[in-house]
Amino acid sequence: MSDAQEKSGTIATIGAGVQAAPTLREGLGATLALALFGAAGRVVVPILLQQAIDNGFTVVGGRTIVDVETVTWLCVYGALALVVTSLAQRTAVLRLGRASEEALYGLRVRLFQHVHRISVEDHNDEKRGALVARVTSDVETLSQFFSWGGLAFLLNGALMLIVSGVMLAYDWLLALVVIVVSAPLFVVLRRVQKYLVAAYDRVRETNGSMLGTTSEIINGAETLIAYDSGKTFAERATSAARDRAEAQTRASLIGAFLFPSGEVFGTIAVSSVIAIGVWRGTGADLTAGALVGFVFLTYRFLEPIAEMTEVLDQTQTAVAGLRRVLGILAIPVGPPVDPRPLPVPGGPITVVIDDVSFSYRPREGDSDAPLEPVLSHVSATLRPGTKVAVVGETGSGKTTLGRVIARLVDPSHGSVRLNGVPLTKISNEDLRNRLVVVPQEPFLFDDTIAANLSFAVPDLSEAELVRRIDELDLGDWLNSLPDGLRTEVGQRGSNLSAGERQLVALVRASLVDSSVLILDEATSSVDALTEVRIGRILEKMANGRTTIAIAHRLSTAARADRILVLDHGVLVEDGHHDDLIGRNGRYASMYEAWLASSNGQE
Amino acid sequence: MITLVSYRPRAFVTAVAGAAVFAFFTVAASWVLRWLIDEVVMVRFEEGRIDRAGLGAGIGVLILFALVRAGGVVVRRTWAGKAQWGVAEDLSREVLDVVVAQPVSWHRRQSTGDLSTRVGVDVEASVSVMAPMPFASSVLLMMVIATIGMVVVDPVLGVGAATVFPVLIALNVVYQRRVDRWYDLAQTELGDLSAAAHESFEGVAVVKAFGAETRESERLARIASRVRGARIRAIRLRSVFDTLLDVVPNATNVLIVLVGSIRVRDGHLTLGDLTAFVYLFTLLVFPLRIIGYALSEFPRSQAGYARVRSLVEQPIEPDPRRGLRVSDRFEIEGLWVTHDGERWALQDVGFAPPIGGTTVIVGPTGSGKTTLVQTLAGHIGIDRGSIADPFHRRALVFQEPFLISGTVLDNVTFGRNVSRAEAEWALRIAEAGFVTELPQGIDTVVGERGVGLSGGQRQRIALARALAIRPEVLYLDDVTSALDPTTESLVLSNVTEACAGTTIVAVASRPTLLSRADLVVYLEGGRVSAVGRHLDLLGESIGYRDLMEAYEFADDTDSRASGVFDE
Repeated sequence: MSDAQEKSGTIATIGAGVQAAPTLREGLGATLALALFGAAGRVVVPILLQQAIDNGFTVVGGRTIVDVETVTWLCVYGALALVVTSLAQRTAVLRLGRASEEALYGLRVRLFQHVHRISVEDHNDEKRGALVARVTSDVETLSQFFSWGGLAFLLNGALMLIVSGVMLAYDWLLALVVIVVSAPLFVVLRRVQKYLVAAYDRVRETNGSMLGTTSEIINGAETLIAYDSGKTFAERATSAARDRAEAQTRASLIGAFLFPSGEVFGTIAVSSVIAIGVWRGTGADLTAGALVGFVFLTYRFLEPIAEMTEVLDQTQTAVAGLRRVLGILAIPVGPPVDPRPLPVPGGPITVVIDDVSFSYRPREGDSDAPLEPVLSHVSATLRPGTKVAVVGETGSGKTTLGRVIARLVDPSHGSVRLNGVPLTKISNEDLRNRLVVVPQEPFLFDDTIAANLSFAVPDLSEAELVRRIDELDLGDWLNSLPDGLRTEVGQRGSNLSAGERQLVALVRASLVDSSVLILDEATSSVDALTEVRIGRILEKMANGRTTIAIAHRLSTAARADRILVLDHGVLVEDGHHDDLIGRNGRYASMYEAWLASSNGQE
Repeated sequence: MITLVSYRPRAFVTAVAGAAVFAFFTVAASWVLRWLIDEVVMVRFEEGRIDRAGLGAGIGVLILFALVRAGGVVVRRTWAGKAQWGVAEDLSREVLDVVVAQPVSWHRRQSTGDLSTRVGVDVEASVSVMAPMPFASSVLLMMVIATIGMVVVDPVLGVGAATVFPVLIALNVVYQRRVDRWYDLAQTELGDLSAAAHESFEGVAVVKAFGAETRESERLARIASRVRGARIRAIRLRSVFDTLLDVVPNATNVLIVLVGSIRVRDGHLTLGDLTAFVYLFTLLVFPLRIIGYALSEFPRSQAGYARVRSLVEQPIEPDPRRGLRVSDRFEIEGLWVTHDGERWALQDVGFAPPIGGTTVIVGPTGSGKTTLVQTLAGHIGIDRGSIADPFHRRALVFQEPFLISGTVLDNVTFGRNVSRAEAEWALRIAEAGFVTELPQGIDTVVGERGVGLSGGQRQRIALARALAIRPEVLYLDDVTSALDPTTESLVLSNVTEACAGTTIVAVASRPTLLSRADLVVYLEGGRVSAVGRHLDLLGESIGYRDLMEAYEFADDTDSRASGVFDE
């Protein structure tokens, strides 16, 4: 990308960012005006000195005569100016800070809503970290920018403008000298900045590898101990720490040139001002006071330059963060909601799968790659109250079929209807009340059992929860937990066994009085008692519901009323276990293989 | 602070010396400026005379001093960096040496998050004071020299102006303390937000299943609004203090002009002196603002260092492997083990695994299988009873395979003296043929930042890691359940064939494996409920028989169906 392109890209990104966070624009004009006015406070002292020297001091025959009354009045005006400008600056800082925090909050909320609405396809393990980073660290980059960089831009920009104005008013030639002498400083600082950014990249890299190795030592402590590898890993981490120390020292060295180059340039500029001022003398209306004032103004003018160059880099980082954030908002949301939804007729539900095909949308970058359909022309009518099992090998499309029926994704072709109403015409709320999905991974939130159950139906009382658990014959299990319903499940339910997590997930799903249950069977093995309990719940849940089990265990299929056998996205067999065994087809051979593996050795 | 400096005293002293040079020449520059104004500028404007020599000399000295000052800053910052990160390196080494020397029992009492914080955040906090210290000392020095200079020129004005320095420092310190509270709060809330967002996005399937998208967004928005609240509080404070810190020196300058003009009238001061006063003040304003920040690092550094020390000073606990008795027989007698000192995880466990044979430990969830196999391996300590074994090379494979971010080869050698050929051999025995199909074969990077592997694949790499040292005894904690039954039996027959004489003690549950074991130990509630061959136990123990039936019923269909299910 050329510089010009990049620049227009930056401006476009900022424009899009302001649109995504419109509160930023509110009252921005007033904030800018206040900042400019506030910056005037910083030139009060140089102007006061000039005025005092020119109007209050006269040297007569080597003696300085002072007009104290004039100086006193000047000081009073100066103090008043300081008070007023300070108030203006304070207000500007507060306004900018408030506006940016409000805007970023709004942006975050938009991101949350959006991320929850994008399709499950965009929520895989690799992308999750990135999604979290967008709503946390990338928005943080923007916040950092506003509270330091943005503020510095505002205050320093205002200061440089005011100082330039005052200098020009005093003496255009000296003003020009200051500007010309300072210009190379900007170039030098930019150059140093570039090296510094590279040096800090190296610091980040070495820091990352140091923290990575230490986290391995800590998280893998048991394995390290078991293999006597602790010392070796500790040495690795220490050498990573040494690399980091070297990278940091190098960065310190480069950074060490930033501040003093400002000092040196400042001194050169001040010296030039004094030399030229003295050389010109009283000619061209220059006064002693103006010259002294100029010395101070020069420092004021150079002060912000170093900070401004740093801000430029921070701006780059912030724009990159903003671009990533906007990228998330650009991901299309999942299945769209119909603005005028149709109600699903009450009572038991007939699920009609009508000529459904599905292909994943091409990944970015390889859009030319031909996409093999995951499902091709699958049709079936599932009567109310039937227990259906969908079987097939990995890659056969059975999970996708479950997702299509649950409307987690929309089919590329064909439709699914509940009691004659296409899924696309049903409101999300209605759909989730009529059809409940138990995902394969029994995901639990880091909270109590009660809170996890309430996730399905928010307003159930504890007594009601206990009653529903008793109805599922799980009262004994609940009593076996240390704190009953108030038991903390830990992160991802880590305080519970795999089987107990499945139990909680099933109870949670059972709380919704749905007519259709889609069960993506978990693959993890559980102990015998839990297995029996899970079987019992499923039995109860199947009562009066149409259940569709995405089955990994042929024992589940064997107990179903009807089995749909998928092979490479095609529905190859459909019928009861006994029929399919008699047909000697795909299912029969799968079943045979299963029998051999589980009973063969007995 | 002094203890920290003692790690790298030379770098620190160099940095302070650089800072001192800077301080001295900064004040000196203001004297040059004063001289220039009195002797050159005023002379030119009042008398019209240009003192070329004076002008040249003054400007030359001014620029020379600027260069010397710049040198001082470069020395100070570079060596401060050296000192700071050098000490960080030393502290990390100390902490890590202790961490790797402690046994499993110690590690289980620690929270991994807390340990990571000590090695990362706390070490950094400890040294955070090292860089600002030389700077702060230069500012203090500058203040002292400036005060002396000002008092010498004019005692009245000098003493008056100098009193503002402590006011500014106090203002800074108060501000930093108060604002840090809000920034820390915002940081904590941000951590909560990050954790909540991670959880909410991870559970997106459940969120969607129950139509809870809006509820979840609102929950996250509530946490985000707490972040916003803390930030706005900080900004409000900052807007007040930032302004005060600007106004106080400026107002002091106005006062200096006012009082100074009276002193000039009375002949105690020259105009150049007055200008130098104002100049010194202007110069000191910026560093004075940072000194508050430097001072505010002190408590953080002290707290961090205290936490690092408390970790380093913990005594190294004994290695439970020393509790294993050497014998020519393999015998476990009256074993009692507790994890929390309250409940027994193992009670009076005793049996004799056949040397060179396969022993399988089986039992319901929570019956103590993992504890038993880990105790036998010397991984955790014994409270009562004894374990005697004839082994020198033991290997324990965990239920949850742990892979480091590195190549497959790194993961197998695992920092030990294992050759590439030995690693390749071990991978073959562990049935990890899939490795050869990875993009760079055995040199493919796996783990967090590498190629994603399935649970079964990770487990086979972990198994190869154990096999690579050709152990005399192999302890497997439910390792093969992540593999499909075919691979499981292949791996086990590979081990028995290639490592003839290796004793295997495995926690497992598949009937296939149990029927082949030389000895089955059936645990219930931490006690040995039955010991013997599979077929005998089926007859003898009702619990065992029930368990077997349940597993048969629940077992996976075949290797294909137990694979990764997501398409």
